[in-house]
Amino acid sequence: MGLSFLAPLFLAGLIALGIPVWIHLIQRQRGQVVRFPSLMFLERIPYKSVRRQKIRHWLLLLLRSAALALVIAAFARPLLENDSAGGSGFLGAREVVILLDRSYSMGYGGRWDQARHAVRTTISELDREDRATLVYFDVAAHAAREPSTDHARLLSSLETAAVGAASTRYGPPLKLAQSILESSALPRKEVILVSDFQRVGFEDEVGVLLPEGTEFTPISVAGPGSSNLTVGGVTFRRQAFAGQTRVSVTARIVSRSPDPVEKVDVVLSVSDLVMERRSVDLEANGSATVTFDPVTVPGPFTTGTVSAGEDPLPEDNRFHFVLSPEEAVPVLVLDGGGSSSLYLRQALEIGSEPPFAVTVKRASQFRAADLSGSRVVVLNDASLPGGGAGDRIRDFVSSGGGLLVVAGDRTGWSAESADLLPGTIGSPVTQADRKGGKLGYLDYSHPALEIFSAPRSGDFTGARFYRYRPLEMNGSQGVLARFDDGTIALVEKRIAEGSVMVLSSTLDAVWNDLVLQPVFLPLVHQLIKHMASYRPPRAWATVGQVVALDQWNIGAVPGWEEAHPVVVTPSKQRIPLDVGRQGAFIQASEQGFFQVEEPDAGGRRLAVLAANLDPQESDLTPLDPRVISEAIGVGGNSGEVSPPPEATTPEDRERRQSLWWYLLATAFLLLATETVVANRLSRIAR
Amino acid sequence: MTVFRTEAQTETPGGSFLDPRVLARIDNLELLARTVVDGFINGLHRSPYVGLSVDFAEHRAYMPGDDIRWIDWRLYARTDRHFVKQFEADTNANFVLLLDTSGSMDFGTRGVSKLDYARFLASSLAYFSSKQRDRVGLVTFDHEVIDYVPPAVKHLNVVLNTIARLQPGGASALGPPLVKVTEALKRRGVLVLVSDLYEEPESVLNAVKNLRYRGHDVIVFHLLDRAELDFSFDKAAPFEDLETGERLPVVPDHLREQYRSLVQAHTAELSRRFSDNRIDYVLINTSTPLDHALFRYLSERQRLSRTR
Repeated sequence: MGLSFLAPLFLAGLIALGIPVWIHLIQRQRGQVVRFPSLMFLERIPYKSVRRQKIRHWLLLLLRSAALALVIAAFARPLLENDSAGGSGFLGAREVVILLDRSYSMGYGGRWDQARHAVRTTISELDREDRATLVYFDVAAHAAREPSTDHARLLSSLETAAVGAASTRYGPPLKLAQSILESSALPRKEVILVSDFQRVGFEDEVGVLLPEGTEFTPISVAGPGSSNLTVGGVTFRRQAFAGQTRVSVTARIVSRSPDPVEKVDVVLSVSDLVMERRSVDLEANGSATVTFDPVTVPGPFTTGTVSAGEDPLPEDNRFHFVLSPEEAVPVLVLDGGGSSSLYLRQALEIGSEPPFAVTVKRASQFRAADLSGSRVVVLNDASLPGGGAGDRIRDFVSSGGGLLVVAGDRTGWSAESADLLPGTIGSPVTQADRKGGKLGYLDYSHPALEIFSAPRSGDFTGARFYRYRPLEMNGSQGVLARFDDGTIALVEKRIAEGSVMVLSSTLDAVWNDLVLQPVFLPLVHQLIKHMASYRPPRAWATVGQVVALDQWNIGAVPGWEEAHPVVVTPSKQRIPLDVGRQGAFIQASEQGFFQVEEPDAGGRRLAVLAANLDPQESDLTPLDPRVISEAIGVGGNSGEVSPPPEATTPEDRERRQSLWWYLLATAFLLLATETVVANRLSRIAR
Repeated sequence: MTVFRTEAQTETPGGSFLDPRVLARIDNLELLARTVVDGFINGLHRSPYVGLSVDFAEHRAYMPGDDIRWIDWRLYARTDRHFVKQFEADTNANFVLLLDTSGSMDFGTRGVSKLDYARFLASSLAYFSSKQRDRVGLVTFDHEVIDYVPPAVKHLNVVLNTIARLQPGGASALGPPLVKVTEALKRRGVLVLVSDLYEEPESVLNAVKNLRYRGHDVIVFHLLDRAELDFSFDKAAPFEDLETGERLPVVPDHLREQYRSLVQAHTAELSRRFSDNRIDYVLINTSTPLDHALFRYLSERQRLSRTR
């Protein structure tokens, strides 16, 4: 227990303790002023040597001084308090920043209630002059209100606070505290951090340095041990079956418990219907995967949830996702006839993510109508169709379509459409080396080739190229691949919204053996997906992310913003969809499903976004708060972890403030004694 | 005539000594002076200077042998008779009171301040001198001359009125006002200085001896309250200088003896120096009856007249 004062300014009255001494030494027998004709003679007498400087009655002096000190102390309202809660005392007002962790891990057991109680106690023990700021934080931090001495409003803010859905980051709140403290002129500064101190929330480089002299008080609400089950994520395996999409869901279950967990009930729900239950055993701090039987995706925006077991932190035991039937990418292949498109067709038709709808036609039979519904045109060893076809294909490309030109013997190009190509296609060249040439350079930074950059992600070195059509062009812009002799093998040219790619060799087994290589299939898929501007639909987002609906391919339809769609949040709030020039955006602020509806069309769903908690936050492993205190530059005794304060009742608080009664009573006793003693001494003196 | 006496005073040798506290009840200074003087003594007094005067006294018929310069020709024109003017200067002297009214004179512990006492004393002396047909004048001063009533036979009332109006105040300094008095009084006379003389003996004497060197007979009444002499205060208190306002914490018990010795040394030094310069010096305790002071004065005057 420590002692502080509710009204420390009264202690300035201790200066009055000098009054009795002054009376004794200077004015002890001071009476009325004697008006005397002249001090001429008196001033000649060395008066300092007289006895008035002596204190005759030490007992009286002590009694008076003690009584006065007690009265002053009583007025200062002494308060007995816990050592963890420091009052202003003599040292002046404090600038106190209370950082309250509201990340979803604080929902574990009774941590949130403990944390709120700790903050409530801290606020109630602030001195009236202390200025306080209550900062809530998870991945971001915001102050409940400006720094204020109105502690009651802080308490009311605390009553309405709730655990959030985001993860923990200690950097933002500490930076906010730094800025608040740096702008404060109060003499004492203190940061109180109330959290469960998860290790995952701390970054080595927080970039925060609290002002010198700042006291840092961490209050940990983390218990001695914790166990937590988490659905760490799901993966999907899609299959096309009878014109429908079937999806096999595999969930990853993680146990963060020091003990093994047996028979964890894992449930797959689709459209709020339980589809399958599985039981799984988990080792201590182990994980397991559960693969469910394939389920048919009945339609767009089918919602699904995997849940696993029960524990004190139930929020991360669920994982939400959204599935839609896969839409095939339409591809139009124009060739010169024969079997030149055999490998290409086969490669595309076995694509599942996404599937490709391949249409093969002779180039001579090309009609403008064939372009409608196509997203990519492959001119496979064929000349550009005559007539206005060149213009229509240019329009097709300009509006976002893709054109892949596979150069072969039959490839011809009219001069009018030469601007579509990145260069001029030369006559066929046969490699002098009978072994053929190889690809000597690939631009792995290109989005279409990026997936091949990792080791063992696609071997191009096995492909042999015996014949090719050299491509003459100025510069090397857009070159994606070259043969080992330096000639261009693959090049891209962007035209407005679309792109044109030229492969200088064929996609059959005559001019090269690329089609026989394992890398052929993914290469073709990647090139077509790239030119079709294909983006896989995202099944979920993490809380805190801002999702652009069209870029995530989860339901955006051009022009839909004119329907004034609204977003129904998981907590059933209806808010207008944020539609801007860059598209429509949803901020995943909580866990669950965000549904975009069209009010004018009877609530027709335009898009659905599943939002899940950050699985990292499920790791409740605590961090030693001293690591934080060292990182933010507070030394000394700061950083010692304080336990959450015990609950105090009004009676208890009153009892801790009742010292002044005793002080005042003692002072009166002393004054009474002083009166008796003074009278006796006076009588004796007479 | 009513004479106010107290039991204590009847024990004082010399007879009808008047208690200043009783005199203080008399508002009219002339009455007071008459009470004091008529009840006291009609002593002889002679002007220290025999000469002409401009103060007209009366006419008398011309007699042969009279100086024709004193025939009043205007009266002759009206009455066709010869009268000669008689002047009082023939027998009277200048008597000028020099009264200190500085702030320190406003002190008194027995209901009568030093200034009150000085007022009674000056009035009595003025009245007495007037009865002796002396020309009475008055100079009041603190560190400079405040009032100046030129000496004249008929100026008694003016002098008494001026004395009645006196207000204490100001710092005292004998030098400057007495220099002016020296310049103003061309005619030799009797000068009575009434003051508490809170200055160094050296500077007091320097101020007074100029008057003496001009031929005046100077009598110094050094007025001090009894408390100033015996320092009979008992409680410690801050003492405030009446003239400067300066304060000094004083414990009388521990200062009394030193104070007394300092005052005694001061008065002894004054007495010695005045005596050396043939200046009458009378130390008066204002608690003593007024006629005691008058007696001292007249005794001195008689001594002077005998030696002159």
